Amino acid sequence: MTLSQLSLEARQVDPSLPLLEVDQLVMHYKIKAGSVSAVDNVTFTLHQGEAIGLVGESGCGKTSVALSLLRLLPQNAQHISGEIRLNGENLLWLSAEEMRQRRWKDIAMVFQGAMNSWNPVYRVGDQIREALDTHYRGVMTYAEQRAHMEKLFAAVGLPADMLDRYPHEFSGGMRQRAVIAMALSCGPQLIIADEPTTALDVIVQDQILKELKRIQADLGMSIVYISHDIAVIAEVTDSLGVMYAGNLVEYGPTADVFARPRHPYAYLLLRSTPSITGPRRKLAPLQGEPPDLLNPPTGCRFHPRCPFATERCAVENPPLEDIGGGHKVACWHWDQVPELEGLQR
Amino acid sequence: MTTTKDQGADHGAATGAVAAGSPASDAFAHQPLWKVRLALWRRSLGKTWGLFRENKMGMFGLGLILLFACMAIAHPILMATVWDPKIYDPVTGYSAVELQFVIVEGEPTDPSTQISLQEARLRLNPTVKVGQTVTIPVQPAPPSLKGPNPHLLGTDPQGRDILSQLLYSTRAAFFLGAVAALTTVLIATTVGSIAAYFGGFIDGSLMRLSDLILLMPLLPVLILVSALFEINMVMLGLMIGVLGGFGGVAIVLKAQALSVKVKSYIDAARVAGGTHWHIVLRHIIPNVLPLSFLYMMFGVTEAIAIEATLSFFGLLNVPMTWGIMINTAQNNGYLLSGTSYWWLLFPAGLAVTFLCFGFFLVGRGMDEVINPRLRAR
Amino acid sequence: MLKFFIGRLVQMVILFVVFLSIVWLLLQLMPGDISDTLIGNPDIPMSVRLELKARLGLDQPLLQQYITYITNFFFRFDMGVSFSRFPKDVSAVLLEALPRTLVLFLSSTLFAFWLGFKTGKLIAWRRGGRSEQFLIVSGVFLQTVFYPWFAIVMLWLFGFVFGWFPIGRFITAELWLGAPFEANDIFGRLIWTVVIASVAYGIARIVIGRVAKDLVTRERLAMLLGLLVVAAVVGYWAVNPAAKFAWDIVHHTILPVITLGLVAFGAIMLLTRASMLETLGEDYILTARAKGLPDNVIRDRHAARNAMLPVATSLVLALSFVIGGGIVTETIFSWPGMGLLFLQAINVSDIPLAVGALAITGVLALVGHLVADVLYAVLDPRIRIA
Repeated sequence: MTLSQLSLEARQVDPSLPLLEVDQLVMHYKIKAGSVSAVDNVTFTLHQGEAIGLVGESGCGKTSVALSLLRLLPQNAQHISGEIRLNGENLLWLSAEEMRQRRWKDIAMVFQGAMNSWNPVYRVGDQIREALDTHYRGVMTYAEQRAHMEKLFAAVGLPADMLDRYPHEFSGGMRQRAVIAMALSCGPQLIIADEPTTALDVIVQDQILKELKRIQADLGMSIVYISHDIAVIAEVTDSLGVMYAGNLVEYGPTADVFARPRHPYAYLLLRSTPSITGPRRKLAPLQGEPPDLLNPPTGCRFHPRCPFATERCAVENPPLEDIGGGHKVACWHWDQVPELEGLQR
Repeated sequence: MTTTKDQGADHGAATGAVAAGSPASDAFAHQPLWKVRLALWRRSLGKTWGLFRENKMGMFGLGLILLFACMAIAHPILMATVWDPKIYDPVTGYSAVELQFVIVEGEPTDPSTQISLQEARLRLNPTVKVGQTVTIPVQPAPPSLKGPNPHLLGTDPQGRDILSQLLYSTRAAFFLGAVAALTTVLIATTVGSIAAYFGGFIDGSLMRLSDLILLMPLLPVLILVSALFEINMVMLGLMIGVLGGFGGVAIVLKAQALSVKVKSYIDAARVAGGTHWHIVLRHIIPNVLPLSFLYMMFGVTEAIAIEATLSFFGLLNVPMTWGIMINTAQNNGYLLSGTSYWWLLFPAGLAVTFLCFGFFLVGRGMDEVINPRLRAR
Repeated sequence: MLKFFIGRLVQMVILFVVFLSIVWLLLQLMPGDISDTLIGNPDIPMSVRLELKARLGLDQPLLQQYITYITNFFFRFDMGVSFSRFPKDVSAVLLEALPRTLVLFLSSTLFAFWLGFKTGKLIAWRRGGRSEQFLIVSGVFLQTVFYPWFAIVMLWLFGFVFGWFPIGRFITAELWLGAPFEANDIFGRLIWTVVIASVAYGIARIVIGRVAKDLVTRERLAMLLGLLVVAAVVGYWAVNPAAKFAWDIVHHTILPVITLGLVAFGAIMLLTRASMLETLGEDYILTARAKGLPDNVIRDRHAARNAMLPVATSLVLALSFVIGGGIVTETIFSWPGMGLLFLQAINVSDIPLAVGALAITGVLALVGHLVADVLYAVLDPRIRIA
């Protein structure tokens, strides 16, 4: 790895080449009471320079997917089957040491709750430098590291002298910007942003998302956004995946999914979200509770809450099928789901 | 006094408040309030017990405490039935155990069956010879199971039965621990809750007092006090309790009370017109109590250790405790006797240790029940 | 931050005056009068008694006596005359014993913190397994063991059975008979070498921190430096003509220090473990892992560094234990420090000496509190920069 690759210039991207392929990933958590099926058969592909989003309610497995991309799952997590390929290389086959070297250099992460992602006892600059020291030992001099970090801070709109400050001296928004700067520090191809703006107020939220979008375009990076808020994610992603109870139930171009959700869950989820710009409609909250993943429902995991469910849904789990234009749905009755506009009153 | 009664009910109210959200509480709707409280209290107790039972070390500690409790109960029963007070009284009893020794030339290789010629001549008469077997009354005598007066753990240097002393002292230890811990918790809970709720000047002065007490080196102060005044168990217990109650424990419980104070149900109670005392008694104190009970366990441990240390120094005006047993052994020159006179040092030392161990383990177990974060997955 | 410390210092001085007043008050509450104890002594002739009474100011009103006591303590470090070591001043008697007690306290506290922190850190990091269970049980055992009994057993086991260490006392009397050195001199020189070495090490650490920017080099240099300093101290004493005598003192010191330290070790280990487990659940640990940092860096530089904060606060708790345990240790090991002096004074009703020892202990406790405050501020930038 040479210095030039660390420079903050646009990477050559070929949108037709896949960067990250998640293939039929199955993951369980072992707890005292048994085995929790947290991620079940999740498949998606992220191309170079693309931004995708994963949405779903809390406990649906979206964070588990994010963490398994970096292999950062807790000790009690078990990988059952499936593959995670980065540039064609299966990350799950790497040794722990090889995986450690990939982290941050190839895949970086912006965590939820930037407040706590900084170690309170070290200067922010030192914490970024630590990543450079780990992955580029001997490549950069101290002064070069400093110059690089100042450039990073400039890129996220922070003054260079903030590098010498401690995390508690930053405001929430500044801390999140600094987190993004740190994520960029080792020049990753892919950034996973797990609820990057959740704890921030709406205005800062918007600034940070715009910043991320601009940086992504400038540097030719790929981003996986994880959020429970479908509206936030829709603005910045090219593709959108909806997760429910460990399953990826719908995946497709953001505009498509947003305008014509074909999975009953995605449909009901969007129907329960108010829209300011769109037509006025009656909000309908989603009935029922998410399932107990210790004993997930048979067949389609959504069928106990689904208004379109039939007997088949309780027996057979629908596969994720392409219904045209890259829009994929895992539902037997996707064609029965009404249009969102049909709800207009 | 109605205060104690009130507090019992308060605890019920606290657990009631916790459980009120569950749909099952509707089932109590038509019963009198005290019955509902009792039922809720019992249920939450059962739940707590269920969690505690999973903690093996805590259960082991509980077992130890129960064992000691049995020992404490056993003493008066044994004294009334089997043991002759003249021989077995822990303080005034005396028993001369006669043992057989073989007289040897020079230093005996096995002091429990051999005696040097010099010493035999000194203790019996000048005519004894090497190789002769003689019978000599010994104290401290080793454990014996046979004979008219068996001493299962031997006798001390003054011919008193060790087992009887051990059992007798258990009661004293429990008593002291209870007095000290109850005083500590009573004071600390009140002080902590009041300081947290009222804040301002009251808080400031109470916390400065805590600082002062924390600054005082506890053991040296108690040593000086017990040297200057005649101190008995109750006074010692109260003293440890007061110092602990206004000192460190008050600070911990105040922090807990502060975290309760900011909860919205306190605001709700205030809006509903609750007086200060109502809020402190009915809402703050009950929610501090679980932590108070935890500190009670640690308080017992500390009090027992302090008492044993003070009586080890021979500073307390009490007839017999574990500390005094070790003090007796030390004063009679058995400090380094180790295993050859094990019954002098080990039973008493281990008794203090294991009783404290038991209470400490129970405290740790309760800590895990109260703080779910500490629990293993 | 300076303001905070000045405030804290003032607060502590006030607390100490209150503490001293309480001790003084206790004396007044004692059945009988100090003068009875003193003047009741038939060995002292009548003329001396009257002179003494006036000299000690016992004929003056109580308030005057109180003010004299407090001002004497603060401005002249005068705590009166010891009864049992008449006509020696209490302060002189105490000052002679103070270094020994300080060495006992400091080395056992450092030993307990160093070992306790290291073990606590490791068992929290590698959770589960038999070694963790064993260490937890031993930690709880050490924390609850009846300390006088434990000290007796340690002395018996390592002094008597194994014979690794001398049985109690400060020096071997036979060795020092006709020796060209005073025990206190050698002891003082030992202390000075360690103090100088520590200061030198501290300064060098700061210099390293300024010069070496890279964290890894910094840690390596610091370790090298530590070895160098230890080698220098050992080397200096090895070639010293008093080496034999110095070793005798050190040899006598080891067992009491370890005994006192072990008990504090149990508490520190358990606390570190709990604190470490809490820290390991923090988000910044996940960040550190995501950054691809090696495990030992995450453990030491991120988790342990933060887990240290509550442990540093526990210095105050350890202090009260070390002071209480110090008295017991000194008694059982016949270690002629302040604790032993205190107990002897109590036993012969030498009240001025006992009170003096208690007052000095109070000062020690106070200094310990202050050190804990400073340490916390140094360790936590949120307090340092605020």
